[in-house]
Amino acid sequence: MRYGGGNRSRLLLIILIVSSLFLITLDLRGVQVLDGLRTGSQTVLSPFQRAGNTVASPFKNFFSEITHLGRTRKQLEQLRAENYNLRTKLINRENADAQLKQYKSMLDLAGTGDYKILSAKAISQGSSQSFSQTLTIDVGSNSGIRRNMTVICESGLAGVVKEVYPNSALILLASDPSFRIGVRIAGTQQIGILSGQGSRKAVLQLIDNQTTLRVGDVLLARGSQRNRPFVPGVPVGTVIAVDNSAGAVAQSASVKFYTNFSALGVVAVVVGAPKMDPRDALVPVKPRPTPLPTITVLVTPSPSPSPTK
Amino acid sequence: MITRQLSFSALIFLFIYTIQESFINQVRLPGGGFSIFLIFALVWSALSTPEVGAVTGFSAGFLIDLSPSSSGPVGQWTLILILTCFGIAFLGFGDDKSRGNPITIVFLVVAGVFLAEVSFLITGVLLGVNLGSFTQILIILFGMSIWTLLITPFTLPVFSRLHALTFDTASRI
Repeated sequence: MRYGGGNRSRLLLIILIVSSLFLITLDLRGVQVLDGLRTGSQTVLSPFQRAGNTVASPFKNFFSEITHLGRTRKQLEQLRAENYNLRTKLINRENADAQLKQYKSMLDLAGTGDYKILSAKAISQGSSQSFSQTLTIDVGSNSGIRRNMTVICESGLAGVVKEVYPNSALILLASDPSFRIGVRIAGTQQIGILSGQGSRKAVLQLIDNQTTLRVGDVLLARGSQRNRPFVPGVPVGTVIAVDNSAGAVAQSASVKFYTNFSALGVVAVVVGAPKMDPRDALVPVKPRPTPLPTITVLVTPSPSPSPTK
Repeated sequence: MITRQLSFSALIFLFIYTIQESFINQVRLPGGGFSIFLIFALVWSALSTPEVGAVTGFSAGFLIDLSPSSSGPVGQWTLILILTCFGIAFLGFGDDKSRGNPITIVFLVVAGVFLAEVSFLITGVLLGVNLGSFTQILIILFGMSIWTLLITPFTLPVFSRLHALTFDTASRI
């Protein structure tokens, strides 16, 4: 027999629906209590997230690594030869090495741009169920992190600090659909607005319709007033396709971020902006093709063949 | 009796929520992965009366809304899960054939996850939440549904036992 529903059931359903609508209204009106609840839940969850990160670190990027199997085949062949214990140690070592490499590149970037940074470790990545792209890091207001600070990684812009808790902070990644940043093209200095699309690709909308975009153009952060939320000069991405629609008001293009958001292990929060705009100093150097070595063999013929006995 | 049921349910909910937020979210799975907490809430509702289903939806939705990585306003997931969980509980209740059949419950849960995500998208658009490119949305929608289809059969016996333990029901899947 199907459930027919009763007055009590209907009343309960109505009360619950009205409560949820009430919560939505309160949140949209910016009531502090709800922000406090989210802050409280993050404060409670952050020790568990740290523990979860430690447990999951050897295999959390396993599926994204599969897509780059060709690149890591040689490495995998080497690992296959090892026994289980050695393999585990090697994975842990590789993890540490990768983080070290990321730290080094990040320090190089910050040094060239004269940014004062505070390095942080990613402790949790936001769930995809809300179609948002976020990351939680292990430093917060106790370490001097404030809202709207720029977050960089080894290859360039990673995102911006969205929420700050005492010992952790929530980063809105540049790939998030709600992410917008003013950028300029290195060299021509033309400006535009870059919007995240939920993946590593973004859409650039130029402000000036007289500008000509080219594939391979490098985009840098234009910087904000008082350097919040964005410090100037941070590499953002490169143009991979230009939309040349005749009817478009302004030119647009597809951009690929320098940052691989699925493999962010360590990041740095820019806590101090540079005194001078670094302009194009941080434009990544294009990889040069390695020249093939030419081997010259000189053969000197013998003066006359000698008779053999 | 009801105090025991409520406290026991709350403990289980908080435990699975913590697992989701601290561990499952760490693993980057293709296609958006899955939400064990969402699966749990829907299974719990499928095994319960419509009243308990609605309360389950309210509690689960509110916890998801409290997650710092949740993009919408507080209350959005609450509203969606009240309706989804009530709907699932309503469909299953009183029909012993569908309630006792694990395959039906698995498909109800998959449909519930899909509907909840679609509802989140629609309400998100109405509330002005940016949701990203259409392709990415499709990947996450279908990816999550497939993951749910794969994961639910393994978790169903565990959740069913927990439900039986909490509500002292004799039937288990």
